[in-house]
Amino acid sequence: MSVAPAQDQVITAPARTRGITRRQALAAAVATGVGVGVVRILGGSMQHIAAPRTGTTMDWISPLKSESARVMQLLRRTSLGYTPTHLEAALSDGFSKTVDRLIETPPAEPPVLAAANTPGGRFPVAQLQQWWIDHMFTTSTPFAERMTLFWHGHFTSDYRKAADDTFMYWQNLTWRRMAMTDLRSMLMSVTTDPAMLRYLDLATSTGQSPNENYSRELMELFTMGAGNYTEADVREGAKALAGWQVPQPDSTATVVVDAKNNVTRKLPVYSSQKSGVFNPRRSYKGSVTFLGKTGPLDTQGVIDRILAQPATAPLIANKVVQHFVTARPSTGYIKNLGDTFRRSKYDMKTLMRAIFNSPEFVADQSYRSLVKSPTEFMVHTGRALGVSSFSKLVVGHGSGMGQSLFDPPDVNGWPNNEAWISSNTVVERVNFVTAAMGQVKGSLPSPSDGIHRHLDGVLSPQTASLLNQAADDRARWFILLASPEFQLK
Amino acid sequence: MTREVGINQLKRRDFLKAGLVFGAGASGLAAGYAAVPDAFARAVYAAKKEGMTNENILVMIQLAGGNDGLRTLVPLADPALHDLRPKLAGPMVSQALPLNSQYGLNHNLGGVKRLWDKGKVAIVQGVGYPNPTFSHFESIRIWETGDPTRRQVDGWLGRTLATNYDSNGHPLTGCACGATDAPGALRDLQATLTVIQNQKTFGFTGGTEVEAAVGALYKGTPGIYGALFDTAIATATETMATLRTSASTYQPMADYTDKVRLVYSSKNQLAAALQLAAELIVTGTGVKLLHVTLGGFDTHYTEINRHDDLMGYLDSAVSAFYQDLAAHNMADKVLIATWSEFGRRPKENASGGTDHGAAAPLLLIGDPVQGGLYGAEPSLTTLDNTGNLKYSVDFRSVYQEILSGHLGADAAKILGSSYDRVPFLKAPVAV
Repeated sequence: MSVAPAQDQVITAPARTRGITRRQALAAAVATGVGVGVVRILGGSMQHIAAPRTGTTMDWISPLKSESARVMQLLRRTSLGYTPTHLEAALSDGFSKTVDRLIETPPAEPPVLAAANTPGGRFPVAQLQQWWIDHMFTTSTPFAERMTLFWHGHFTSDYRKAADDTFMYWQNLTWRRMAMTDLRSMLMSVTTDPAMLRYLDLATSTGQSPNENYSRELMELFTMGAGNYTEADVREGAKALAGWQVPQPDSTATVVVDAKNNVTRKLPVYSSQKSGVFNPRRSYKGSVTFLGKTGPLDTQGVIDRILAQPATAPLIANKVVQHFVTARPSTGYIKNLGDTFRRSKYDMKTLMRAIFNSPEFVADQSYRSLVKSPTEFMVHTGRALGVSSFSKLVVGHGSGMGQSLFDPPDVNGWPNNEAWISSNTVVERVNFVTAAMGQVKGSLPSPSDGIHRHLDGVLSPQTASLLNQAADDRARWFILLASPEFQLK
Repeated sequence: MTREVGINQLKRRDFLKAGLVFGAGASGLAAGYAAVPDAFARAVYAAKKEGMTNENILVMIQLAGGNDGLRTLVPLADPALHDLRPKLAGPMVSQALPLNSQYGLNHNLGGVKRLWDKGKVAIVQGVGYPNPTFSHFESIRIWETGDPTRRQVDGWLGRTLATNYDSNGHPLTGCACGATDAPGALRDLQATLTVIQNQKTFGFTGGTEVEAAVGALYKGTPGIYGALFDTAIATATETMATLRTSASTYQPMADYTDKVRLVYSSKNQLAAALQLAAELIVTGTGVKLLHVTLGGFDTHYTEINRHDDLMGYLDSAVSAFYQDLAAHNMADKVLIATWSEFGRRPKENASGGTDHGAAAPLLLIGDPVQGGLYGAEPSLTTLDNTGNLKYSVDFRSVYQEILSGHLGADAAKILGSSYDRVPFLKAPVAV
């Protein structure tokens, strides 16, 4: 594969573009595109602007006036990549109908993970990661996976501390099922989730000696945000929440955990998915003063009192917007979305519909204003190349780009957007493309179609120039996938 | 939990608060294209030469998650400790390595103890700041920016880089080793820096052809992320070239074995990260400010084994690092300092662990150090109203001594104010 720029490149002026077809414009972009600031080709018009002093003073020219570009942006942000078939279906449905379908289609359940029967959940986390990524590639409801990934970063847990990969598997199933329900019931599921009980230590907290970890993060990271509660609220909340434990196993199995020294351990075996159990003997019996009110309080009461505060709705709205719309929302936009969310009794369908249908979602400023997370980038790559047996490769490459599923950097989950860009991560993204291209043995889809479907035909002069000089389709695909354009959504 | 915060990671609240990145773009967008405000672009194009400093080097080790100060520097003779920690106190006192009749180091800090005996370890007790927050993320940000009022956005080391070193074209001046994104302490839009997770795999697997193509691809990239992308690639390729040279000349003179059994959330291999730091230092790459992170200090539960493991892990990595620097005759240039967002609650919880706390000791290690104990021990009986240790030394006093005394930088300018000195340096640079 030859991807280096040719030495004897000929710089040509942009072609005249008035009245040409989209296909011709695309071809023109690939053929020329040198010496212009940013090329925009869509809807039959190719526009170019004066050469920049430096490229960094220019923005991408938004193609979002066109319905098809809006649909492609919608899919790019909601679907973990798409095949030509997915795209054709969405383009034929149009933007509004596609929004409806995304929101109203119930999530397809992933196949059962056989390893989840392993006593104590002692199976390699890579199996769990691969199982999820396989499902991302093959599911009929990719939006459900995108939302599950979102919640995995928000209500995050780490397989190391959960110390039972079956619990992590259950959490993934639960997050998928609850992803588009309402925050009130979601928070109950989250609080009593076995992996979460372990991860934030609620499982070991008692009314007599409460552990503050879950109480604090429930308010700081999951709902209200720092500054909206006091340290006394953290302590009192910890009392009120104490009493939950991981579920009792259906049986135990004696397993050799250290063959050399012949050490065996009795490990729990579960025949079906379970949530945490409340043990009143470990709970706090007195009254607590929490978020301004005093009296006896149970877990549902804690959640309801949190949801009665105004801080939660904008926090959730802002987080969703950072992932789906823009890294820099206006306060007015967040306030409006938060109000809508709260009025709907924290209904996720209402919030997501309001976001996708907001003018901000398709505003020119939102074009390429988000950076694909490593998982999105890798699954997009596989889908764009039309392969689905990519999961091993994806599992192996996530950590260098900063994202290993079920293994978040901390309780705040993964950072987003500009945090995905560093000298280490961008090199790793390129290396993933190298590895991915190495796995594609057969014929490749047309790069011109790829440029249209995945980059909207909006290319930087550099990308256009390199595509123009590339020796063959493999080199063109390499450039397309390794380009800055493809890292954005 | 751990926190490996990113330089490029302008946190959500930073965006909202500062509105710093994009404010000027709207009118341009209306015209069909945007003049992107060059907040990111400045990272690429700005060059600073104002306050070139000396040849000294700083290595900051973040103990992420909130390190338990009472298990690091153990009060040996205070009966209150046993009342507060009936489960945890016994073994930690009986096994500690005594420094004097009052204090001992955690029993797994044997290598640090040997350096202490040679006068190369300073311990500043009771370090904290007024009105402490118990949020990991807020407190990390306060330590990273050096600003408890939370107005400052840039990291204190990033500001040092931006105002004192010409990092333009020398991306290795600041380096985060063993990470995929840069820590907030090094973040400043006017400072370029390198992030290297693992130097053995840091390179383009597609070879020089891919390197050349990607170099051409990531030039003048449009959009709000354009400069970040271009800087990342330019920095990476330049660093790869430097590493190719340094790797061929560097011979480690110490055993940097990372323990196989990583404790929970210790995702980065500290010894490997410090070995990379040593390589960059001894091969004369021009590196000045390095940052490494060891996570896993959020010991809310079963703290005894977990914290002891972490101490041992820190000890072996730091000992190897010092030994390596000394063997390469670079030990006199390098100051090693630990930091953590907070200490832990003096009173233990039901899970056999401790919740988020406040003041804690910091370790400063190396030949530039004047060994001994500094600051004042926080009282175990007069706690603050959250049941936490009161601080006696503002963390910015430690920063100030590092900046002015070791790096020869204008500390008051970087920190925005002057603080009481903590004289832990043998021969502080006169500024």
